[in-house]
Amino acid sequence: MRARIALLTYLAAIVLATTIHEIGLLGVGLGLVLALAGRDWLRILRRACIAILLFNVVVTLSYGVIAGLQGTFSLEFVVLVNLRVLLLTCLTFLFVTRVNPFEALAFSRSLTYLFTLAYSQSMAFKQALENFRLAFKSRRIEQVGLRDRYRHSARMSVHFLDKSLHQATEITQVMRSRGFFDD
Amino acid sequence: MHIPDGFISPQVYLPAYGAAAGLWAYAARRLRATLREETIPRLAVLTAFCFVVMMIMVPLPGGTSAHATGIALLAIVFGVWTAFLSVSLVLLLQALLFGAGGVTALAVNALAMGLVGSAAARYTYRLLRRIHEGFGLVAAGWLSVNASALLMALVLGMQPVIAHAEDGQPLFFPFGLSITLPAVMIPHSLIGIGEGVLTLLMFRLLSQRGWVTRS
Repeated sequence: MRARIALLTYLAAIVLATTIHEIGLLGVGLGLVLALAGRDWLRILRRACIAILLFNVVVTLSYGVIAGLQGTFSLEFVVLVNLRVLLLTCLTFLFVTRVNPFEALAFSRSLTYLFTLAYSQSMAFKQALENFRLAFKSRRIEQVGLRDRYRHSARMSVHFLDKSLHQATEITQVMRSRGFFDD
Repeated sequence: MHIPDGFISPQVYLPAYGAAAGLWAYAARRLRATLREETIPRLAVLTAFCFVVMMIMVPLPGGTSAHATGIALLAIVFGVWTAFLSVSLVLLLQALLFGAGGVTALAVNALAMGLVGSAAARYTYRLLRRIHEGFGLVAAGWLSVNASALLMALVLGMQPVIAHAEDGQPLFFPFGLSITLPAVMIPHSLIGIGEGVLTLLMFRLLSQRGWVTRS
């Protein structure tokens, strides 16, 4: 229940943050989020800054050049948009670190199972992908050509699809044997 | 390729959520009708597949690379609605568990990548496979990336018109269509070639294993 309330609060805060266009209020919002983060505030802020850095720097610099040439540059806009993105990202990271998303989605049994299965399979595949990458790296002594890189990517993708379809059958059998479909 | 948080106005993302919610419900009903017991496991593992394919690099000429999407292959092999649900779930996982991607932009991204990208790929392949299957697959991969990118460029480019202050200053994404269209479409037209080639190679490997049948 607590997780569900946290999810709804988080979603409401996200919508609210996108309807506010005053720098002061967004700054207060960011301060509040960091205060709620407690001892994690610096970690969350740093993580958020890293996450938004690339896209925001590109947008800000491009805006600076284009609006500067057109004579419409507004420092207020630059601060507003970057502050809002930072606030939204900090809010998301605060939610992710404080709330268990699986609990938050527990209002639907099917959704919880779907989310849990998708997450666990994704993590297993991610690890396998990293192993493939390291294996590919360790077995080459010279630059690999474009054709071989494509073959490698295609083979990996097909391996994962192959595995996915087998896993789907296996998981269905496991769920059936445990009475998941009996209700 | 997806739009991050904070650059789309509520005037756009809230209606997008409304549209996406209806389509998610429809897609789930369709999937449940055909798969029954296997719906949840199949959708979960295809989501994981989509998640991992998005981490695989598509080699581009000149030694560079970009992330694959695998959406064209999913749409061709499993259908548009399955691909739409899988991509939407990947975006939800990325947003809620990893804090990556945007919650506000989730519906727009899901509609652009999952629905428009899938539909473009599936119907392009079905149209062109009678002429030349290989070309149909490459074109499907290319179009899945570029149709999604086009919708995203349009959504971003509309922001200064939809949401601006009284003095005309933008409140969200600052560039109009004259900038977003070339900025988004030119790199994606190159990335699309890589996705197209990868779609062709993956489809051929799947055919050899008997996963896909030509009707």
